[in-house]
Amino acid sequence: MSPSTTAPAAVLASAPSAEPSRLARAWRQARHRPASVVGAVVVLLFVATAIGAPWIGGADPMQADWKQVRKAPTLAHPFGTDDLGRDNFARVVWGARISMQAGVFSILLAIAVGVPLGLVAGFYRGAVDQTIMRLTDAWLAFPFLILAIGLVTIMGPSLTNATIAIGLGATPTYIRLTRGLVLATAAEDYVQGARALGAGDLRLMSRHVLPNIASSLLVQATISIPIAIIAEAVLSFLGLGVQPPAPSWGTMLNTAQQFLETAPWMAWWPGLAIFSLTLSFNLAGDGLRDLLDPRDY
Amino acid sequence: MAGTDADAAGIEAIREKYGLRDPIPFQYLRWVGLALRGDLGNSIRTSESVITTVATKLPITIELAFLSLLIAVGIAIPAGVLAAVRRNTFWDMLASGASLGGVSIPNFWLGIMLILFFSVRLGWLPASGFVPIRESPLDNLQRMLMPAFVLGTALAAVLMRQTRNSMIEVMSTDYIRTAYSKGLAGRAVVFRHAIRNSLIPVVTILGLQMGALMSGAVVTEQIFVVPGFGRLIVESVFTRDYPLVQGVVLITASSYVLINLLVDLSYSLLNPRIRIGGMPRES
Repeated sequence: MSPSTTAPAAVLASAPSAEPSRLARAWRQARHRPASVVGAVVVLLFVATAIGAPWIGGADPMQADWKQVRKAPTLAHPFGTDDLGRDNFARVVWGARISMQAGVFSILLAIAVGVPLGLVAGFYRGAVDQTIMRLTDAWLAFPFLILAIGLVTIMGPSLTNATIAIGLGATPTYIRLTRGLVLATAAEDYVQGARALGAGDLRLMSRHVLPNIASSLLVQATISIPIAIIAEAVLSFLGLGVQPPAPSWGTMLNTAQQFLETAPWMAWWPGLAIFSLTLSFNLAGDGLRDLLDPRDY
Repeated sequence: MAGTDADAAGIEAIREKYGLRDPIPFQYLRWVGLALRGDLGNSIRTSESVITTVATKLPITIELAFLSLLIAVGIAIPAGVLAAVRRNTFWDMLASGASLGGVSIPNFWLGIMLILFFSVRLGWLPASGFVPIRESPLDNLQRMLMPAFVLGTALAAVLMRQTRNSMIEVMSTDYIRTAYSKGLAGRAVVFRHAIRNSLIPVVTILGLQMGALMSGAVVTEQIFVVPGFGRLIVESVFTRDYPLVQGVVLITASSYVLINLLVDLSYSLLNPRIRIGGMPRES
């Protein structure tokens, strides 16, 4: 139990100034979890890298240079160069943009499709619920990545299609999670109370149920974004995602695999980038979960 | 399929041969009908039957999955139990940190790094390839070791976390306190009372992770050039061998469902208090 839940009187007393106290609580939590703070900072650094790629990357990530093929890291090329003499540092930096795009947009898609379906299923129960959930079960019968591979096969390989495929692959998780949360929340007295006051279904769902399940959905998003980032890298690695010459960490690793003996640095940096980004996301997510969803783990 | 300079007659012949002139729903029903009778059609590329192709590839992946499961369980359960019993100590932090790293590391990069280190640098293990187990069990194992480890780590990370959490939960129950207070040694309590009861959620996660294992096999087999089911999936996708893609996807989905059914059934084995049909079903 965290100290903030011990004294109801204290909570009431500080109620008028709820905003600062919430911030204060977040800060107190943060000091106890330095790893989560570091994770959050690294995630923000990657976001900044993705946005500022044109300024940070330096060289053109697609500019081939036949005099600089597979050169080991130097001051001019801190991450070395690849098989076409392109600057690996610039490619890793630009790769952040693609990874972030794929990770964030695919999960936004999963939320946009999954949450309304789960909300409707959990709120109305009965036949609607049965229909949606049985379809979800069928959807879940495909392992996530296999489903994504299958969808990309149909739609053709590209970053947009990979993002859509990953998003649709992650959707059933959100349907299930939302439905479960809605079932619990809709039975709460305050929802029943609002209904008794004459609130319509739409208002109940949007004003009373959704805000109360939002934090759990946010926590789930911090878990699924790193998974989506890895999934994009995997699809690109298999040649089903981003197409060359665009710099994706997955495609870079695919190329690197052919030159492990002569140019191992080609394999280090893109992988290290994926690893540190997903690790940071998971660390930050752990902290966020403790903050928003204070069950004892 | 008919070649780039095919004439209209050639194209028509192929449409005729594969029944492509029928309406799509009709084609689908025909496929389902045949599939129910165990006929998944023939591969367009090799014209071998889909069932035969899968039957030759599947055992390789099953061996890989089995080995990685062995590695995952062998690491995860002792580490999880240790972390829970020595909660908030150095061991707990080490195990939790390793678990977080295992979840975050992309397995295909781990595979590449292992090849770089053990094959290219040290030359201890062959980087890729496959030797059937019947030809030489030792060579087979040597080549399966790295892929199985790569596939096992991600699973181990998830399992470890679950084992730790449920061990902690079980260790705080009344019957564990009773076991302690009747004078049982710590070791006996942990081994005889706690572990068994904490394994149920672990088995659930294990079942759910089978999907991740199948997805992982796709990538791992690609990196280590293991000619298994995962590689077949990618190959069939790239060659646009649709009957093969359909068959492979169908088999993946049904085995996934089957495994989860087996997991559900195994609950009552682990915990006799759960009887099938005895509890209201809640999904």
